Amino acid sequence: MEKELRKQANRLLEEGTVDCIIGHAQGSLKFTTTPLITGDKTEISNLIISPFMHNNLANYLIRRHGKTGIVAKGCDSRSIVSLIQDKQVSRDAVVIIGVPCSGLVDMAKLESLTGKVRDQIEAVTVAGDKVSVKLNGKKKEYPARQVLFDHCLGCEFPTPQEYDCLIGEPVAAINDTELSSKKIADIKKMAPQDRWAFWQKQFSRCIRCYACREVCPACFCERCFAEESQPHWISPVPQWQDNLVFQVIRTIHVAGRCSDCGECERVCPQHIPLRLLSREMYDLIDEMFHYKSGMDKNAPPLMTAYEMVEAEGLIR
Amino acid sequence: MENETEKEPRIVGFLCKWCSYAGADLAGTSRKKYPANVTVVKVPCSGRIDPLFILKGLSLGFDGVLVSGCHPGDCHYQTGNYRARRRMALTKKFLEYMGIPAERVQASWVSASEGNKFAQVIADVVKDVKAIGPNNLFCAEGR
Repeated sequence: MEKELRKQANRLLEEGTVDCIIGHAQGSLKFTTTPLITGDKTEISNLIISPFMHNNLANYLIRRHGKTGIVAKGCDSRSIVSLIQDKQVSRDAVVIIGVPCSGLVDMAKLESLTGKVRDQIEAVTVAGDKVSVKLNGKKKEYPARQVLFDHCLGCEFPTPQEYDCLIGEPVAAINDTELSSKKIADIKKMAPQDRWAFWQKQFSRCIRCYACREVCPACFCERCFAEESQPHWISPVPQWQDNLVFQVIRTIHVAGRCSDCGECERVCPQHIPLRLLSREMYDLIDEMFHYKSGMDKNAPPLMTAYEMVEAEGLIR
Repeated sequence: MENETEKEPRIVGFLCKWCSYAGADLAGTSRKKYPANVTVVKVPCSGRIDPLFILKGLSLGFDGVLVSGCHPGDCHYQTGNYRARRRMALTKKFLEYMGIPAERVQASWVSASEGNKFAQVIADVVKDVKAIGPNNLFCAEGR
């Protein structure tokens, strides 16, 4: 598959169809990847496909000029389509190299499951609902739900929805939302004041590094309300009140664009369960407006569209 | 006496300039009585209201937030209130999920000719908010 990917990327650069390729390359640590953004054909051999290609590369399309080739997993392709819907990216300016994704491995889960640290694990491969791990020269298989990220288990569209060429065969969705929905259901069971206390506790850990925002392809504003000074909406000092307002508003602002790629939660250095917010929003939108983000590049963005009759009973 | 006034809830109302604000004006000029708990902020359209305004209001200590605009179909800018409706519906549901009681965030349609309705809406909102007590959500120790 990597060979095919490199061939396609090379062809695109050679033909001059694109002046730049965005993909994944081996990261500095074992089992990590780093985004590779290059127009140099000699660097194409660094492109890889792995169960650790976490970054949602759609982020790097924002405010890019020229024609770009981009490697996209299912969630990335939905983010790209959202950007097209929001007129942040023109469809003609991107060549989407679709890569069906069988789920990304959560290293923290894997480490606690095997009791080994990153460097002691030799190899990890994902195949269907099994993840095989090589330890001390021996192969061991684990069920996918013990090793993959929650958002990958709940992924409905692992195969890109929009692409110019597809590397490999489409894969079936695991669509196991149980883990995510259980956590959300647990929160819903709490009394309102307990829920508020729960969020207060979570957001008192936030250090406002804005990693969640920076990594998010749906957060493309040139100026964020968090940094506005006139009016001064929230204090830059990380207090739970302002942290909570920031994250709640961020979730509402990206509503209809968020493809539940889970990057915000993955990059959070304080391990705040941000997907409890984004997944709930995702489900809420589906339930109220029957809308899933990034499925149709010709559809109007969720928040600019409307039906003649909707949201009955919520407004006096 | 001071305790008495402290108990009175404070509501911030974001009213669209074309309908609800004019409706509030009409309520005033026709000498309708309604609780004096609402602080009005005039906005050009209900579509101007960012959910951020609502949370900012609550974090400043207002006990309730009211968003009011033109009836569906009557927007001065054609579609502003349809957008506001979607946004408000989503915001209300989501804030409930966060643990903010639904009564604190309210929305209504009031036209420029509905002075009576405006008075009624304010009375109802104040009643609702009074029933759930003061807003301590953003106090240091939470609620």
